[in-house]
Amino acid sequence: MTVGGFAGSVLYVDLTHGKIEKEPLDLALAEKFIGGFGLTVKLAYDTIKPGTDALSPDNPIVLGVGPLVGTNLPSTSRLYVATKLPSSETIGWCGGGGVNFGYLLKNAGYDHVVIEGRADRPVYLKIIDDEVEICDAGYLWGRGVEQTCEALWKGFGRPTGVISIGQAGENLVLFSMAFIDRLSTLGRGGFGAVMGSKNLKGIMVKGSRGIKVADRKRYKTLSETFLQTIRDYPYLKEWQDLGLVKSFPMIVPEETYKRMKKRRVACVSCPIGCKDVVEIPDGDFQGLLKCTSSVLNLYTPVLYGFKDYRESIRCMATLDNYGLDMFEFFGVMGLAKALVDHGLISKDSLDEEIIIDSLQSMEIWARNICYREGLGHILAGGFKAILMEFGEEAKKYAPPLVKGMHPYAGPGCAISWDLFGTMELGQVLDPRGPHVGSGGSPTYFAKRPLEVFPRHLTRMGAPKEAIERILPGLQSPGQKPELRVGRLLRYSHRWFSTLGSLGICVRAAINRFYNAALCAQFYEAVTGINTDLSELGRRVDRVWTLLRMANVREGLDRKAEALPEKWFEAPGFKDYLTEKSLNRQESEEMIEDYYEEWGWDRKTGVPTAQVLKELGLTED
Amino acid sequence: MGNYDIQVSTESCTGCLRCQLVCSDLYTETFNPSTARIQVVTSSADCSIHFTEACNECGVCVDHCFHGALQKMKREAEK
Ligand code: SF4
Ligand code: SF4
Ligand code: SF4
Repeated sequence: MTVGGFAGSVLYVDLTHGKIEKEPLDLALAEKFIGGFGLTVKLAYDTIKPGTDALSPDNPIVLGVGPLVGTNLPSTSRLYVATKLPSSETIGWCGGGGVNFGYLLKNAGYDHVVIEGRADRPVYLKIIDDEVEICDAGYLWGRGVEQTCEALWKGFGRPTGVISIGQAGENLVLFSMAFIDRLSTLGRGGFGAVMGSKNLKGIMVKGSRGIKVADRKRYKTLSETFLQTIRDYPYLKEWQDLGLVKSFPMIVPEETYKRMKKRRVACVSCPIGCKDVVEIPDGDFQGLLKCTSSVLNLYTPVLYGFKDYRESIRCMATLDNYGLDMFEFFGVMGLAKALVDHGLISKDSLDEEIIIDSLQSMEIWARNICYREGLGHILAGGFKAILMEFGEEAKKYAPPLVKGMHPYAGPGCAISWDLFGTMELGQVLDPRGPHVGSGGSPTYFAKRPLEVFPRHLTRMGAPKEAIERILPGLQSPGQKPELRVGRLLRYSHRWFSTLGSLGICVRAAINRFYNAALCAQFYEAVTGINTDLSELGRRVDRVWTLLRMANVREGLDRKAEALPEKWFEAPGFKDYLTEKSLNRQESEEMIEDYYEEWGWDRKTGVPTAQVLKELGLTED
Repeated sequence: MGNYDIQVSTESCTGCLRCQLVCSDLYTETFNPSTARIQVVTSSADCSIHFTEACNECGVCVDHCFHGALQKMKREAEK
């Protein structure tokens, strides 16, 4: 049987020397690391020299799409990037729904792209099947994400996949992001600045080759049954119509959403479609059209105090267009304001007052940061730069920080979840820095009865013995059941890596239909590579452990994964199960449980020699 | 003329290209939206859907549209 799913090539681009090479995908390596997220991590591990500065030409950008991307399995468009991130100074992943970019890259013939060096002028990378060129981006430099996409779509027609940065990335703002088709974010941690440091304004792709699956008969049987399950799902229409508005009506009222909704947008192959195009229906910004990865994001400024949702949307349109991470932006502005209020920054030195709930003020400060003007120059360096500039005294006013960044879920944060589940703990234990994306589990919903956990854990690929460790006492009558969040998070990371390596979207709306056993079957049918459930689990564990090793090599240690002191001050986090205030010792134990469940050293978090050997990760 | 009369509602279309994926697979045994006999182009608030000359109105793309942007009606058999 021929291998299916994979496009078959890796594209290597050296921006310094203007060299472009196409190499055949190493299938043995693809098998070992599955593909997509897994192989992206492996290529990053092999390409990043230890200790590389994130913004130096030596830091490569590795991009990848999984073997299922380009097929019609539901929501298989996911795109991943791995690189050294400037904010967290760790090797991290960025990933997003690939909209059109994911399938077009595969159709152009590439599973991965590795970009190294630095161009001597602004450029964009053009990929049209075999025609790959480093093109002049002088006419795009200085433009926002929206205008960059529009210009490339005008030049190349649709469909064209576009990854691009805005002015924030160009000017190396440490919390700048890149956008996929101006809808999905490649985000937190400063990926935009990594592109900017390479003078790389964007990547555009068109492809027309097509993707074949290895075992058509099996694929057809499996996929038809699976599609029927989704069709039969009683809440499908609700998810399609309302998406996350369904779960968060207190943030976005349904009536308001309906008034501004123009259409829902889906990544290629997705039967849900969680992305939005909205239009402000009235007021000063009437007619403003905004495309977003979720309407919920447009309400972020409301979480920070904006009173009028229309101003909030306008503010997000500005931040997205500059390519700024909204959470870090508001976190940084909050700290700057506190420093002004406490006299560490003199009011008179500012041209514009910092008013967090004012659209006008926030738009001016977003601009100051993007163009590094006045105090904006310091703020553009993120929390680390601010604390360095204003000293020990400033620390008092900073929000809780993890790996130099602002966690956005927790007490006193933008998303005020106070139960300490896997997503909350995951903000500390994902090497990329505070992000909840990889930490999904049943604790995503508050107060779920423990009885439903085993079913979900099996779905996520946790074996029976692990479920007993995660939920001790659940199966023993008369015993009070417990929940070990640290141990559970290890399987969140396994599940995240499974989905990502195949190319399946991680969002709850769709990942709920998948399970690990089915993933192994789909992988086999599409690629033709024999993979049973336990073998898939082993390969996925190899991937996440290698990501760990990449960071251990960078010096990541237990100290870097300390829980911020401010999480233990009132109001603080609560235990997911008992709702008692979380204390430091309990939560440190969760971290140790997490390490141990991976087979890493319980105290240091360094993968043990034995685990490396078992996973086939020892250097030979 | 094929078995079905296919109607489109562009306002419901999400641009997911499930229709193009299945059509290309059906007729070329390869997932390749660029060869599909239905072509969907979306941009911000707009969407256009058209069928190429080669479309035989088999209706399979309709079955794979989850968003209600395509509907089919069985044609009466010709006498
Ligand atoms: S759920 Fe959203 S992000 Fe995921 S594939 Fe569908 S549209 Fe894309
Ligand atoms: S009706 Fe049949 S041939 Fe025509 S576009 Fe749809 S799937 Fe293709
Ligand atoms: S399957 Fe339906 S919603 Fe998706 S692109 Fe085709 S017509 Fe639009």
